[in-house]
Amino acid sequence: MLGFLGPNGAGKTTTMRTVFGLLTPDSGDVLWDGRVPTAEDRSNFGYMPEERGLYPKMKAHDQLTYLGRLHGMTSNEAGESADRWLAILGLADRRMDPIEALSHGNQQRVQLAASLVHDPELLVLDEPFAGLDPIAVITMSDVLREQAASGKAVVFSSHQLDLVEDLCEDVAIVNDGAIVVEGRVKHLKDAAPIRHLELEIDGNADELLAQLEGVRSTEFDGTRHTVIIDADTEIRGFLGRAQDAGRVRHFTYTTPSLTDLFKEAVA
Amino acid sequence: MSGMGAVWQVAKREMKERGRSKAYLLTSLFTILIVVGIVVIPTFFEGGTSEYEVGSVGEGNAEIVDAAIQIGNAGDIEGEDPSVAMEVIEYDSRQEGEIALAEDEVDILLVDATEIVTDAAGAGGLGGNSLSNLLQRGAATLELERLVAEEGNAAAEVVELMTTDTLEVTSLDGEDPVDESQVFVAYAGLMLLYVAILLYGTWILTGVTEEKTNRVVEVLLSALRPWQLLGGKIVGIGMLGLTQLAITLLMAALAINFTGVLDLPEIPIANLAGIILWFVLGFLLYAVLFAAAGSLVSRMEDAQTAAMPMTMLAVAGMFVSIAALENPEGIVARIGTFFPLTAPMVVPVRTALNGIAAWEYILAVVITVASIGLMLWVAGRVYAGGLLQFGGKVKVKDAWQSASR
Repeated sequence: MLGFLGPNGAGKTTTMRTVFGLLTPDSGDVLWDGRVPTAEDRSNFGYMPEERGLYPKMKAHDQLTYLGRLHGMTSNEAGESADRWLAILGLADRRMDPIEALSHGNQQRVQLAASLVHDPELLVLDEPFAGLDPIAVITMSDVLREQAASGKAVVFSSHQLDLVEDLCEDVAIVNDGAIVVEGRVKHLKDAAPIRHLELEIDGNADELLAQLEGVRSTEFDGTRHTVIIDADTEIRGFLGRAQDAGRVRHFTYTTPSLTDLFKEAVA
Repeated sequence: MSGMGAVWQVAKREMKERGRSKAYLLTSLFTILIVVGIVVIPTFFEGGTSEYEVGSVGEGNAEIVDAAIQIGNAGDIEGEDPSVAMEVIEYDSRQEGEIALAEDEVDILLVDATEIVTDAAGAGGLGGNSLSNLLQRGAATLELERLVAEEGNAAAEVVELMTTDTLEVTSLDGEDPVDESQVFVAYAGLMLLYVAILLYGTWILTGVTEEKTNRVVEVLLSALRPWQLLGGKIVGIGMLGLTQLAITLLMAALAINFTGVLDLPEIPIANLAGIILWFVLGFLLYAVLFAAAGSLVSRMEDAQTAAMPMTMLAVAGMFVSIAALENPEGIVARIGTFFPLTAPMVVPVRTALNGIAAWEYILAVVITVASIGLMLWVAGRVYAGGLLQFGGKVKVKDAWQSASR
């Protein structure tokens, strides 16, 4: 599972549209299994676009069956798959409702089912978590995990970085139309030139910390300081100097979070 | 999914979803009611018997009146009121008769079975069934019967001559003479094509904007090529439109048959196949153009403006086909045959007039079919290119350049 990250306007949606041939890249190629995908390959891809859209007056079941048929399934296969996905996503009792009668969140579930109904090898989801309630976020996460576990390639974009960190083994961060960071989340964290420090010190030590050697940024939320420091900073010495500001009550030293990496990458 | 299979899936969805929408069912119902109404309602006012008073002076008038009544009621259905009834009022002198006519006591005056006197305004209505016309024909019939009785076979030949074509008709190029009913059918087909283009072209245009409005298009185009989506919409919406047209025509034909207001000509089957072929080709070609126009607009409000050029093209095609009717082998007709936008309107007319060579006909079919395919591809490309620019009208050039495939 790949988390596809980047600030607004970085080119995430554009990249995804290119995968489906909706746009032609100015340079470069989309490769699948080492070659440019044919129309047949593409019918094995599933897409949940940023611009959500379904036929409002069409019944949920009919809509999914239709999309399954377009991807080359037989009428029976498509119908069964449609019902299976509606059941998994908790919409079994709404299968004969027109889309326009469903709530926004339920429409979003049908939209997810629309990208899954033909059992694609590659799943590309543009901001699938946007606008979902916490329960729906869990449902969506479970579905994506299962898909990845069953050997499907899953790519999704999101601004909820803790979710991405939770779900993805791989991330790619784009900025200004180019990938700036990519790789295994764990490797990226270990290899990052920065470390994440959290400190609780009696009194406000913000100014002192900011002046210490190796510190890249500091933040103070009223009780806790969050400090990003160079990875090669000697931590014992750092802690000793931090104690000058007051008694240290809490101290954690970790590899950077995805959020830290993201901020570094697009700064 | 294979190319045509996908087109068919789209068409099927279109027919299923659109076909059971209230909008479609209601417009169909109203169209049928209006057309059948146009046929049936006038017959309500035509019913009943026209009653005339015929003044008579001298001998032999009553026989003429009897013959006239027979002619006037010839087309009546048994058991219903007769169309015409006449009452004969005898006068002793011509002078008395003329006074009665002037005072509207009678509608017309017959004198000695040789003369009709009418008042200034004309007698008993206009047209083929006017009173004086009926009497004229009655008198002629009597005269014929008299001749047959007196002269035997010779007179029977006269009757024969009067009821059949006397001169044989041949044409210079040695082919069969023009059959009027074929020309009628070709022209009827042309009118229907025109109506279908104007009515259902707009359906297709607005239908094509549907996927853009509800934004389902990105999901669809991840499975389909743009020309497949457009092709499917054209076929689906077109079938709904033509079904509506066919049912309306069928109901109108039934109504005409039932009320007997018109005699429908016999339609030769071979001729009909050609007319239907060109109707379908012409409809498809213009439908693709409407779809291309729909590709350029993303909002319903812009649709009417986008339909304008297509409507004008169809009107221009009609003018060319009228020129072809007047001179089926003239230069306008020949050019129109090979220009795809006019071919569907020109070729059937030239065919009915025997004014087209076989190679011209076949070439015209090939050109038109190729144009439909080409236009569909162009429309698909423009559709894909203009797609992700939501809102407003897209310029053809921009859409073409940003098109992806």
